[in-house]
Amino acid sequence: ADDSPHSITVVGGKSGKQSRPRKAEKDEEEQPLQAVLVADSFNRRFFPISKDQPRALLPLANVSMIDYTLEFLTSTGVQETFVFCCWMSSKIKEHLQKSKWCRPTSPNVVHVITSDLYRSLGDVLRDVDAKALVRSDFLLVYGDVVSNIDVSQALQEHKQRRKMEKNVSVMTMIFKESPPGHKTRCEDDDIIVAMDGKSKRILHYQRAQALKKLHFPMNIFHSGSDEFEIRFDLLDCHISICSPQVAELFTDNFDYQTKNDFVRGLLVNEEILGNQIHMHVTKDGYGARVSNLLMYDTVSSDTIRRWIYPITPEANFADQEGQSCTHSRHNVYREPGVSLGHGSQMEENVLIGRNTVIGANCTISNTVIGANCVIGDNVTLDRAYIWNRVHIANDVKVKQSVICDNVEVKHGVVLNEQCVLAYNVVVGPDITLQEGTVLSMHHPDEEDDEDEDEFLSDDDVGYSKDKTKQKGSLFNPAEVGSEGKGYRWKSSSLDDTEEDELAECIWGLALNPDPESDSESEVSEGSHDLGSHPASPELDDVKVFQNEVHGTLQRGLDENISCDNLVLEINSLKYAYNISLKEVMQILIRVVLEFPFQQQGAQISTAQYSSHLLPLLKKWAPVFKNYVKRPQDQMDCLASMEEVFLERETHWAALVKVLMSVYQLEILEEEGIMRWFKQSSTTGKSQQLRRNQGLLKFIQWLEEAEESSEGDE
Amino acid sequence: MPGADKETELSERIEAFLSELKRCGSGAGSLRGSAETARETTSLLRRITAQARWSNAGDLMEIIRKEGRRMTAGQPSETTVGNMVRRVLKIIREEYARSRGSTEEADQQESLHKLLTSGGSSEDNFRQHFTHLKANVIEAINELLTELEGTTDNISMQALEHIHSNEVIMTIGRSRTVEAFLKDAARKRKFHVIVAECAPFCQGHEMATSLSKEDIETTVIPDAAIFAVMSRVNKVIIGTQTVLANGGLRAVNGTHTLALAAKHHSTPLIVCAPMFKLSPQWDSALQELVLRSFCFLLPGEILSKVNAHCPVFDYVPPELITLFISNIGGNAPSYIYRLMSELYHPEDHEL
Repeated sequence: ADDSPHSITVVGGKSGKQSRPRKAEKDEEEQPLQAVLVADSFNRRFFPISKDQPRALLPLANVSMIDYTLEFLTSTGVQETFVFCCWMSSKIKEHLQKSKWCRPTSPNVVHVITSDLYRSLGDVLRDVDAKALVRSDFLLVYGDVVSNIDVSQALQEHKQRRKMEKNVSVMTMIFKESPPGHKTRCEDDDIIVAMDGKSKRILHYQRAQALKKLHFPMNIFHSGSDEFEIRFDLLDCHISICSPQVAELFTDNFDYQTKNDFVRGLLVNEEILGNQIHMHVTKDGYGARVSNLLMYDTVSSDTIRRWIYPITPEANFADQEGQSCTHSRHNVYREPGVSLGHGSQMEENVLIGRNTVIGANCTISNTVIGANCVIGDNVTLDRAYIWNRVHIANDVKVKQSVICDNVEVKHGVVLNEQCVLAYNVVVGPDITLQEGTVLSMHHPDEEDDEDEDEFLSDDDVGYSKDKTKQKGSLFNPAEVGSEGKGYRWKSSSLDDTEEDELAECIWGLALNPDPESDSESEVSEGSHDLGSHPASPELDDVKVFQNEVHGTLQRGLDENISCDNLVLEINSLKYAYNISLKEVMQILIRVVLEFPFQQQGAQISTAQYSSHLLPLLKKWAPVFKNYVKRPQDQMDCLASMEEVFLERETHWAALVKVLMSVYQLEILEEEGIMRWFKQSSTTGKSQQLRRNQGLLKFIQWLEEAEESSEGDE
Repeated sequence: MPGADKETELSERIEAFLSELKRCGSGAGSLRGSAETARETTSLLRRITAQARWSNAGDLMEIIRKEGRRMTAGQPSETTVGNMVRRVLKIIREEYARSRGSTEEADQQESLHKLLTSGGSSEDNFRQHFTHLKANVIEAINELLTELEGTTDNISMQALEHIHSNEVIMTIGRSRTVEAFLKDAARKRKFHVIVAECAPFCQGHEMATSLSKEDIETTVIPDAAIFAVMSRVNKVIIGTQTVLANGGLRAVNGTHTLALAAKHHSTPLIVCAPMFKLSPQWDSALQELVLRSFCFLLPGEILSKVNAHCPVFDYVPPELITLFISNIGGNAPSYIYRLMSELYHPEDHEL
């Protein structure tokens, strides 16, 4: 390992001297396009597979994922790529050194930058800034992005925008149109985007998974444009065109960890910092990030079905020796040296690696088999992903599973859907693995020691291997069969119920809240979260602010603090949590209206409720008056009252009393109330609310009072 | 070291050519015509001949063969590259034979008797060193390049012999050769062209626009209407991606339909194909109908359950073709084997 924490290694490419003079001429006009490739996922989604091999090097249709990413970058005209790696960086470096990217003739010069200190995308970009690596706009991608999108148009638009308004647009995110239900839509990556239809500016960006209700801040609709689009049919390709400012912004905001943090932070602070994010939507390109095994399954099958043309298996774009395969009907690809036994059928979408031997009477469909595998007779493979040097004995059935390097599957084993056999595992004979079983040579208990250090250096791996040896020979035959080797992988040392969650996690189904999801922090707080990032501050602010306001008012009541001081405190909270004035009022109304429930419990009757609430309203009237000034404020105030009461149907009768008292306290004026009442409401429930007996009487009374006052004049 | 510099520059050029080949793809999505690919391949081979290190014809052929294998592997569906490599190999053989004083012509007349008696590879014969070989080979490759540059003109020159006044001509998709052919005829004659649009990439639209700019009366029809319209057509003139060794075609998708319809109505089918499209392979071509997936605007749920195939090329059997028009004149499909043996040496069929 390197002694220095950061070490830059230039592995190949044209040496600087040779290419400089040519570039220098262009410098004034056009800088060579650069890219930052993050070859680390910063989470443990692919554990236990990624315990032995970093995710970027996992084979996808027999080619490492990072090669797809580099091919994509090169084909879009990137001339210099910085590969940042942390987890198992030496393996990635070794791979790149051997690959065609580091040949002297490569049009794309690859620099590998390694450090054990990177914990997130934020760290990487801060390092980019610290080392001043980028000179102009650059592409930011992960090492597991597979794409054939031509970004040149997006790049041009980006440059145009930068030229028009200097340094306002800092980033262009690339999205692919894919309607809900599309295979490449990763469930954790469901996003909802509000954008300005004309300028393609992103106004709001939110992950939408498992959220039933979506909130859009009103201010995005006041931004002066007359065309908005709110889109749910987009897939984030995880490719973005960034200006050097992005790296600077990451340095300035040291709490940004992920791109999500960055985007949200930038959008929230748009008024202050004046930075904007734009987007580019592609219709016919392909772009997806292999963020879990389900995506791995999808992207692999798309590669074989040639959706990523011209990146197809037979193109051999990675230029590896002996990997050129032939393509025949029904998308059957064969590398040299494949032998197929009598009666075996390759039905469709099959890729077979070099020197693989397949026995007789096998049925193979939708499957990728790596190099040097031996597969016995009467084997059925469907949606199986079999890597290199795997031995599969006779009469085995595999459905939608991943089998890593050097695995041995003995006679009569059945793998049901979504099984994972990690490196060097031996299974069988005659055992059926349940759906979602994950077997690994790593004992799950190792986790305990490693929990403190989430991203291990290579030394740690050696250590854990030693440990495996100590514990060896204690395999459970019920899990791996009588001759099997391997442990059932569990998430940490938690109880058995967690097992399923991990399997889902590696396959990326939505049962387990996504580790990166910030909006779900309440739900996931208690559960064990793999690779969780510190919750982003913005999303929780409103919630925290509400609690704080409640606390303040409670204290105000207990200690009899004057209303002026309460206003002062609330205002300071407003700045601390960066809450807009409108939201302050909405939250204030909500807190006050829910105050009796908080104090007396949720079961109190309507009469009790109003008798508690009315004195409070009277007491805090000056506070309200401070926030409710303009007619629009009144409407907002009434709307939030309505919202609170809609949630508590049983207490509708109290609404009249509340309205009456706020009217009498001169917080709200009658015009405001009338206007709110006449507002054509959208939902049936709020119409019902308006038809409430007491309310009708109150309105009638108001109308009469108005008429009489007019009469007086 | 100037020598080393030259070599790196050479390999850099080869790499660049390879990656461009891979990216440009072939067939429908191609950015360049195959004529250009042929020219580029040949000039690259000339550069290799000039700059690589070799002392005798055997070495040179080995180098060319090695690079040729790489180039053909880069884009297997683009047969032009392989064809040009074979042409250059043939040139080297001829020049070597001439330097030795014997004629290649005699060498090639391989009788069964000769095959039986010779045995072993003839490669050993190429070890002799000739000082003028390099210059001669480069000269011959230059001739080949001139020939390549003139192919389209040579083909279109024959247009007036085939297109007569007031005829109705049908074509499909976009072929640069056919385009030039029709435009040339239009200078003297008036005729009507019907263009099948060639879905899903619809290159036919471009073709029609380009033809109508030259004041040719042009009609675009959907592929489905080919059969219906065929009865009014006097002649079908198409281009092709490759001419296979048996006289069949590997042409843009939809050509087979067109050829069958023409056969049904006994309409003559004329194929405009320059000689460099003549490929000695034919068996593998049938297997490798290049597929390319194409984005459909279907709802996502349906799309994920669909296996979408979009073949780029059709195989057209030789029985359906009436005449080939190449830069050296018109030939029947049954004569292709003869042209093949004139252009390529039998030993080079497998690179």
